[in-house]
Amino acid sequence: MRIRNFWAAILIALPLAFMAAFFLVPFLVTVTASLQTADGAWTLANYKKIVADSYYPGIFYTTFKLSLISTIVSFLIGYPIAYYIVNMVESRSARRVCYVLVIMPLFTSNIVRSFGWLILLGRQGLVNQAMVAMGIIDRPVPILFTETAIVIGLAYILVPFMVLTISSVLQTIDRSLVEASLDLGSSRLATFLHITLPLSLPGVIAGSLIVFTLAVSAYVVPAIMSGGRVVVMAMPIFDNYATLFDFNFGAALAVGLLIVTLILIALYLLFIERRGRSQIARQS
Amino acid sequence: MASFIDVKNLTKRYGDYFALNDVSVEVAEGEFLALLGPSGCGKTTLLRSIAGFIGSIGGEISIDGRPMRNLPPNRRPVNTVFQNYALFPHMTVVENVAYGPRRNGEGRRAAVEHAERSLSTVGMLEFKARYPAQLSGGQQQRVALARAIANRPKVLLLDEPLGALDLKLRKQMQIELKALQQSLGMTFVFVTHDQEEALVMADRIAVMEAGRIVQIGTGEEIYHKPATRYVADFIGDANLIAARVTAEGTLETEGKGLSLPVRHNASPETKVTYLIRPEAISVSPAARAASDDVIDLKAVTTDIVFVGNATRVYVEARGEKLVCQFPSSERAADFERGQTVHVSWHRDNGQVLAR
Repeated sequence: MRIRNFWAAILIALPLAFMAAFFLVPFLVTVTASLQTADGAWTLANYKKIVADSYYPGIFYTTFKLSLISTIVSFLIGYPIAYYIVNMVESRSARRVCYVLVIMPLFTSNIVRSFGWLILLGRQGLVNQAMVAMGIIDRPVPILFTETAIVIGLAYILVPFMVLTISSVLQTIDRSLVEASLDLGSSRLATFLHITLPLSLPGVIAGSLIVFTLAVSAYVVPAIMSGGRVVVMAMPIFDNYATLFDFNFGAALAVGLLIVTLILIALYLLFIERRGRSQIARQS
Repeated sequence: MASFIDVKNLTKRYGDYFALNDVSVEVAEGEFLALLGPSGCGKTTLLRSIAGFIGSIGGEISIDGRPMRNLPPNRRPVNTVFQNYALFPHMTVVENVAYGPRRNGEGRRAAVEHAERSLSTVGMLEFKARYPAQLSGGQQQRVALARAIANRPKVLLLDEPLGALDLKLRKQMQIELKALQQSLGMTFVFVTHDQEEALVMADRIAVMEAGRIVQIGTGEEIYHKPATRYVADFIGDANLIAARVTAEGTLETEGKGLSLPVRHNASPETKVTYLIRPEAISVSPAARAASDDVIDLKAVTTDIVFVGNATRVYVEARGEKLVCQFPSSERAADFERGQTVHVSWHRDNGQVLAR
């Protein structure tokens, strides 16, 4: 049955109105503010200030570097988990339990979780004590308040997003394809590399985009895990808005972060597209 | 018969349910064997266990003298044409077909040459650069076939490969598959629920029921000498009349006690099934000259159905419903519904089967 045009329009209008009110309008306000002085005159000075010296570009670099590493770590941890849940866990209820376990970290507050990591990663924390006890290191190493701590904290909350997106794609792969590959003489590893992995790439791409954007905009985790010693973009944005009350410069930083993120994502997708096409070209 | 595939006492159970129950079968080299039966009879399980996809199974399988126990699918000398074709969607036709040779250690160029030869065998070479999604069902089926023979396996396993095709294409593929099998000299094991398909292609047919092979033999043997009522019912059309053996050893129908003169070796006082094929019954307006060898009954026609190449006459004779069939080239218009006729058959055409 076709929904009549009137009702279809209403169904679309509701989310559109929501998006307009709570995303588009604030976004335009921010963009406008970023192009104005405190007095309301039009200017590009806010953007010039970002690139005036190496301070903010350095923060941009740190932010994207840590986001990229967190994305890769989330992929390396998340893919095996997703693969295990989809292909190894046989019973449905057990699979459901696995999914609940995976998203469990998201049930607790960001702040509580991060303070938990502080205890684990501290100089006298469980991780250091365990490594010393096992003889991996002679004395405790500083983990807390480093970039490593941020990556650990980010990956920990981002893995669930990776697992869920990848497993939803893995589920759609017909098992008879794996059987056909084995039947044709392919080993299990070759079957994974040639069949399962390529067919699950859409999930990997979607998952990495979600994880990357969440990592770029993360504030609480980097702030607590680094103790303020590593600065990522969310921090100066927050400071400008909340402590310095320089809404215009804060807005410029936020818009700058958005633009650079969009450019990176566009490049990523372009790269994947190009690779896909050159592969097809090579094979025909 | 030197057996090439030797299946011995194969048993697979899921809890209390036997998917395969003590199945033994031998297949000769270059033979075309059809596994025939309704869904759930275990035919696909048998095929998949030869391919190596079924774990924890009782019994033995050997191929060309080599035991297959504990050998994973990728190390068995068999290849499978899957029911849904299972073509790799992210690879072109030629990549799909070259996949087997490539994984078996051939270089890229050699594998592609190999694949192209396979594709031309099934007449699909011109589609080599396409993706599976760009092909029709029949074309996908041919590619799946080309992929499975690209490795030159000793045995090709086919799991209802023609099931998704329309009738005309299916009939054409049946002839082509049979010709391909003969030209390659490969051993084919073919799963189907379509008795006609099995009769057209197979050298021998194994009829399966509830995890067992109930009869194995050539199409003629199974059609003319079915071992059980189930086989008779499954292969071709059949009149199956509930009957019993009297204390004197004669046979009569359970309904109206019509006595059926027939040679049989069933023991007295047992319930049996009397089988007479529709085409063995002749229908005529008048009685045939009575003799000991001919059974002649007065009957009333209940329906006359023209099915193209044949005409079926449904009659009721002494409480038994019978169907008779004769080629359409013979006097089709002679009968009408409700007419009194005589049906007769030679007594040697009737058979007694266990109930």
